Amino acid sequence: MIKLGKKTEAGALQAQTPIKSPSGFSIIWRELVRDKVALISLIFLILIVSFVYGISLILDQDEIVKVDLLSIYQPPNDQFILGTDYGGRDIFGQLIIGTRNSLSIAILVTLMTGIIGIAYGLISGYFGGHIDNMMMRVLDFFNILPFTMIVIAFVAIVPKYSVTTFSLIMTGFLWMGIARLIRSKALQEKELDYIQASKTLGSSNFKIIFTQLLPNCSSLIIVTMTLNLAANIGLESGLSFLGFGFPESTPSLGTLLSYATNPQTLEFRWWIWVPASILILLLMLSINNVGQALKRATDARQRRG
Amino acid sequence: MSYLEVKDLKIHFPIKGGLFSRTVGHIKAVDGVSFSLDKGKTYGLVGESGSGKTTTGRSIIGLNNITSGQVLFDGVDITNIKRAKSDVRKDIQMIFQDPYSSLNPKKRVIDIVSEPLRNFENLTRKEERKRVQELMELVGLSPESILKYPHEFSGGQRQRIGIARAIALKPKLIIADEPVSALDVSVQAQVLNFMKDIQKELDLTYLFISHDLGVIKHMCDQIGIMYKGRYVEEGTADDIFFNPQHIYTKRLVAAIPDIDPNKREEKRKFREEVKAEYEKSYNDYFDEEGLAYKLQPVSDTHLVALPEKG
Repeated sequence: MIKLGKKTEAGALQAQTPIKSPSGFSIIWRELVRDKVALISLIFLILIVSFVYGISLILDQDEIVKVDLLSIYQPPNDQFILGTDYGGRDIFGQLIIGTRNSLSIAILVTLMTGIIGIAYGLISGYFGGHIDNMMMRVLDFFNILPFTMIVIAFVAIVPKYSVTTFSLIMTGFLWMGIARLIRSKALQEKELDYIQASKTLGSSNFKIIFTQLLPNCSSLIIVTMTLNLAANIGLESGLSFLGFGFPESTPSLGTLLSYATNPQTLEFRWWIWVPASILILLLMLSINNVGQALKRATDARQRRG
Repeated sequence: MSYLEVKDLKIHFPIKGGLFSRTVGHIKAVDGVSFSLDKGKTYGLVGESGSGKTTTGRSIIGLNNITSGQVLFDGVDITNIKRAKSDVRKDIQMIFQDPYSSLNPKKRVIDIVSEPLRNFENLTRKEERKRVQELMELVGLSPESILKYPHEFSGGQRQRIGIARAIALKPKLIIADEPVSALDVSVQAQVLNFMKDIQKELDLTYLFISHDLGVIKHMCDQIGIMYKGRYVEEGTADDIFFNPQHIYTKRLVAAIPDIDPNKREEKRKFREEVKAEYEKSYNDYFDEEGLAYKLQPVSDTHLVALPEKG
């Protein structure tokens, strides 16, 4: 019904103006423009992302993480915009590189869990029956694994700990949520006549799944992946804060935050952990805002634009 | 030799329940249906909701699994055919009941109508476009609208897009599953007449499934009446409408409304008479489970489900 409502509304608009019917993107854009908070969030996000990835091209990570005993714990000054930590390392540089690392992980994990989850969910939901039952039990198995403990164990085992390996480990335990969601949508869609019609028209199952079913799950996919992205930024930070994230030679938002476990730093040296905390907060909030706007754009009854 | 032949078709759905979802029983959606259909003719399958008429149609094209029985198309056994790209897929097409859910909302008309062409014929983009435009013209829609999305069309137009898709491969048999039930009356006539026109033009054979006897009368040469998964009566349109033998058919035919308001009272009386007869003789026409008996011939073309003793 939701779909139908959206379409008829779009149809009514079409009748007034003889232009092309509004595409998915123009609906999303209208929703964003109408929701000022989401629009500001989006602009902020684009600025942050381009700024962080731009600056980190110039910055030299090895130079930043080099210990400089002469400039330990300096408060913000002309040389170090955001001061230094206990190793005399520039907090501003660490913040930029750290944000880049955290964002890269979040994006990588979201994309990889997305691809695995969507394929898994679509196949499971489309075929149904025994295949669905089997695939869902495998998924249940992954779900009951104690995630944090296994990640900690992996961290200890993996010899070369980098953004890629970290993302791969995370992906292994985070694809289930989206797979479930897509499966439920696929179960619902596959009963509709257009799927049955495709079968009678001679399309193969594979073709039906990826050319008929997938486009009709697209709104759900976009929304879920956006909201997942926000969650995944927090995920890396959380693990690093616990001390199972990156070593100090690879700065991330989480490692900066974990300096706050030192009561001295927490109380007297705010410049080390406050910027990172604010950045995490702002990033997660803005991605969430954009995600919520997207979510509304997919449902005609909630739409504002 | 008949074109499409269905022999003792049975479609049973298991009822799962109890521990480990065992099969605890069966729903006999279709229970021993046989009929045959000649080339170029229209066969009407009538029945109330849940009588198994749609299931019959869907099983012929392979959307439902056939429990037992046989479906022969042009002499070839097509029972439970599963392969996506077989000739049968090309020769038998289906028109769906709901014009809203049977078209993918995310696809343009050209993609919807050319889907069968892409599966079976290697056409270049240009040829494909031309074919789709021809088809659109054939079903009475503007060829310029091929880049629109389904939601930009009305129900009747959408149903005609569905028909364009069904005839794209020049099939020989079309299973029309209540093609006009979702449309309003003014559009119904339009679509039905159009279906008759293309039948002549393309020499099509229809299996027409409907619960609307008026529509059936307009369209069909032969009619089968179903009740609870079984046939109660089969015959030519004249047999069914002017000489109904089974009490269920009599009641169905009596229920067709008459447009003449002067006959309203007369009609009502007649209906009540039939109703009384139906209730009185129900046990004569149905067995202990309320199912129809086996079909007995009463003339060359006319079969009625009567108890064997006569």
